[in-house]
Amino acid sequence: MEDYRGRQLKIFRGVNPLFMWGVFLALLLLPLVIRSEYTLSVLIICLIYGTLAASWNLMVGYAGILSFGHQAFYGLGAYFSAIITMKFQLSPWIGIPLGGFFAALLSLAIGFPCLRLRIAPYIAIATLAFSEILLVICKNWVSLTRGEMGLSGIPPLQDFSLFGLAIFTFSTGGKIPYYYTMIGIFILTMLFINFQAGSKVGLAFRAMRDEQDAAASLGVNLTRYKLTAFLTGSFFAGITGGFYAHYISILAPDAVFGIGEMVEIVAVTLMGGIGTFFGPVLGAFVLVIGLEVLRGLSDYRLMIYGAVLVILIIMMPHGLLAGLTQLLNKVKTRTAGQLRKAGS
Amino acid sequence: MLRIDNLQVYYGDAHALWDISLHVSQSEICTLVGANGGGKTTLLKAICGLLAVREGSIFFDGVDLLAVKAEKRVDLGLSMCPEGRKIFPGMTVEENLAVGAYNKRVWKKKGGLLEKNYELFPKLRERRNQVSGTLSGGERQMLAIARALMSEPKLLILDEPSLGLAPKTVENVMETIKTINKTGVTILLVEQNVNISLQISQRGYVIESGRIVMHESSDVLLSSPHVKQAYLGL
Amino acid sequence: MTNFPVIFEQIVNGLVLGSMYALVASGLTLIWGTMKMLNFAHGELYMLGGFGLYFAVSLLHLPPWTSVPLVLAAVFILAVLLEKGLISPLLGRPDWDVSAVVATLGIGIFIQNFAFKFWGGDFQEVPYMIPGTVTSLGVTLAWHRLYILGLALAVLIAFWQGMKKTRFGLALRATAQESEAATLMGIPYRKIYTLTFSISASLAALAGTALAPIFSVNPWMGSGPLIKAFIVVILGGLGSFVGAILGGFIIGISESLSVLFLGSGWKDLICFLLLILVLVFKPAGLLGGKEW
Repeated sequence: MEDYRGRQLKIFRGVNPLFMWGVFLALLLLPLVIRSEYTLSVLIICLIYGTLAASWNLMVGYAGILSFGHQAFYGLGAYFSAIITMKFQLSPWIGIPLGGFFAALLSLAIGFPCLRLRIAPYIAIATLAFSEILLVICKNWVSLTRGEMGLSGIPPLQDFSLFGLAIFTFSTGGKIPYYYTMIGIFILTMLFINFQAGSKVGLAFRAMRDEQDAAASLGVNLTRYKLTAFLTGSFFAGITGGFYAHYISILAPDAVFGIGEMVEIVAVTLMGGIGTFFGPVLGAFVLVIGLEVLRGLSDYRLMIYGAVLVILIIMMPHGLLAGLTQLLNKVKTRTAGQLRKAGS
Repeated sequence: MLRIDNLQVYYGDAHALWDISLHVSQSEICTLVGANGGGKTTLLKAICGLLAVREGSIFFDGVDLLAVKAEKRVDLGLSMCPEGRKIFPGMTVEENLAVGAYNKRVWKKKGGLLEKNYELFPKLRERRNQVSGTLSGGERQMLAIARALMSEPKLLILDEPSLGLAPKTVENVMETIKTINKTGVTILLVEQNVNISLQISQRGYVIESGRIVMHESSDVLLSSPHVKQAYLGL
Repeated sequence: MTNFPVIFEQIVNGLVLGSMYALVASGLTLIWGTMKMLNFAHGELYMLGGFGLYFAVSLLHLPPWTSVPLVLAAVFILAVLLEKGLISPLLGRPDWDVSAVVATLGIGIFIQNFAFKFWGGDFQEVPYMIPGTVTSLGVTLAWHRLYILGLALAVLIAFWQGMKKTRFGLALRATAQESEAATLMGIPYRKIYTLTFSISASLAALAGTALAPIFSVNPWMGSGPLIKAFIVVILGGLGSFVGAILGGFIIGISESLSVLFLGSGWKDLICFLLLILVLVFKPAGLLGGKEW
């Protein structure tokens, strides 16, 4: 079976803009048809994981850096925003972007040591270790983070008015404004990824992903682009974390820095298709909604994720859609063959 | 001894070898020559089981090779010295030779076989405890051949033994091959160096673009105008 | 706080701790050397060893010394099934380095949560192999810890010799260095991979049975040792057995000493810092080869 990397060698012309904006529009219009607060909250979770997965996909699928520490940036953004808004009475609208920048800044701390690593498993371990360090620090620096007791009372997003026209009120506790905020973050992330992929940076990423040594010999400055991948991937994970903190209002170390989050991000991206544009988001919707629907199986959630990882990587490494299409083609050719045999 | 009929070999979906028919008789030195990319190594890989065969047959001493797994073919007395030598770089010379005798049929006789091969290749005895990654090209070739002999083969296949070697070393290698043949081992020699391989062999095949285009005795091949023009630069 | 006897005691503790880490890491380095794969399920195989011992002793009432070989055999068989069913299909694929990691990660997470769901999250106690302590040179050590030290050294020596002298060891090294040539010599490389993986799993389980009395059996007992084992192996150099011992001791002693100065909450940081240092300055590890 083919390598997901080989598939993306063709020139990236960017996602079909019509399709992309179509998806965005559909998501924006959803609350008009969906009234249930519960469904909206599920969709928000889908978007959170979708954005996390998309930003992870940026690093793995586009730049070829197998990071198992993405949850670290999620956690950094979440805790940073929570803490500074609580300590300094800042608005979460400032805290969230700052959380993103903080995550990006700290991504250099793991990005630099990873520069010289070429083999995927090494990078996986290094980034995982980085995330685990942060988990340990978060659990132990009780005076700052309240450790395992958790941080509660994180301020919700503040009301604001858009050009004096619409007023976004978060104080009523309704999910719709949160949904739109998360859509905003999601769209911002996807637009950026699209832009970056089509730019010189994106080209360098793909060269780096497919054949590091060849890329380097052609003059691609690996250091610069590897760090760029870390900075951008972590930024978007960070702002997602910041949103999460102000949405849920409580934080615990394992909820953001834990391996469970990492596995979820990997499973979601793998299901949608690593290296594709909307794949990660699609995977998020499928897995999150799927598990919500099969609510009785919530005890088995992580077991299911583990099994999903294994089954996908063996049978459908390009993602569910691609795998199903291949399966469908096989069935088609086989039935055609049998019909031919029967006919003759 | 070795009989190949109408072999069709594919690399994935690409048709690499067409209608290959070839035979090697007991005790002879038979050679298969051709240019780079002509299909020589592909054919050898098929014979050794490293590549799947779609159609055709390979019989070794009456046994249908295609029904035998790659790692079991050594059992039957087939041994190959692969292209590029492929010695085990982290092991000593003696350890490399030991691996050659891995096969259960010969493992118990390892000590005796080592002696026999050290007789044939005194240089290797000198370097028996040296890590093989540090050997010179010619020494590696000797090691690879000796290693292939450790399994007491009936048929020894050599894939481009002259590759990357100085002319004098190539002569040595060819002399050694002749000596091995005299002890009763049948040889299938695959080479890019057409001249010297035709000189030491009795019969030869010429392969081009995946097909056998000529099959004659070596003398006839040496004087054939096509061979002279295409391969001997004359 | 910082007087010599205390430091000496911590160093001895560090050596014992280090041998534990080396034991856990030995399986990882074995797989890497042969299959070029990092087994992310290693921690859970370790955990299965612990649980296996618990079940054998507490439920089947078998003595520990009989239980351990049974547990090792059970894990070995499980590993054979896992390798043949889930990892073998990935061999030879161009994305091997990534797919093997993802597959073993999935297997590990599955096993971990299976244990949590079906065996409960309680911490279970398991008896020491050898009860009691011994005191010498002003240091008191549990016999069990010496057992661990002895076990680690025995395993490592057995491997070192086994790799050099046995037919299987030779076959393993040949497969690792040049798998195509190995096949030509009659070495069944797929069987070798299965065996290697299963032996490594048994090593992990052995470490689990040895450390379970000290750390208690629970579904998550493997995560910590897994990361530590990775770090040990990178520190010592992937593929090097001696490196695993060295790396284990360095981390063990550093951690032990750091407890004196930093307190136990922060001691885990030490090995991470060591990892970062190694990755920045010598990614191949102390005794590692060219690959990193």
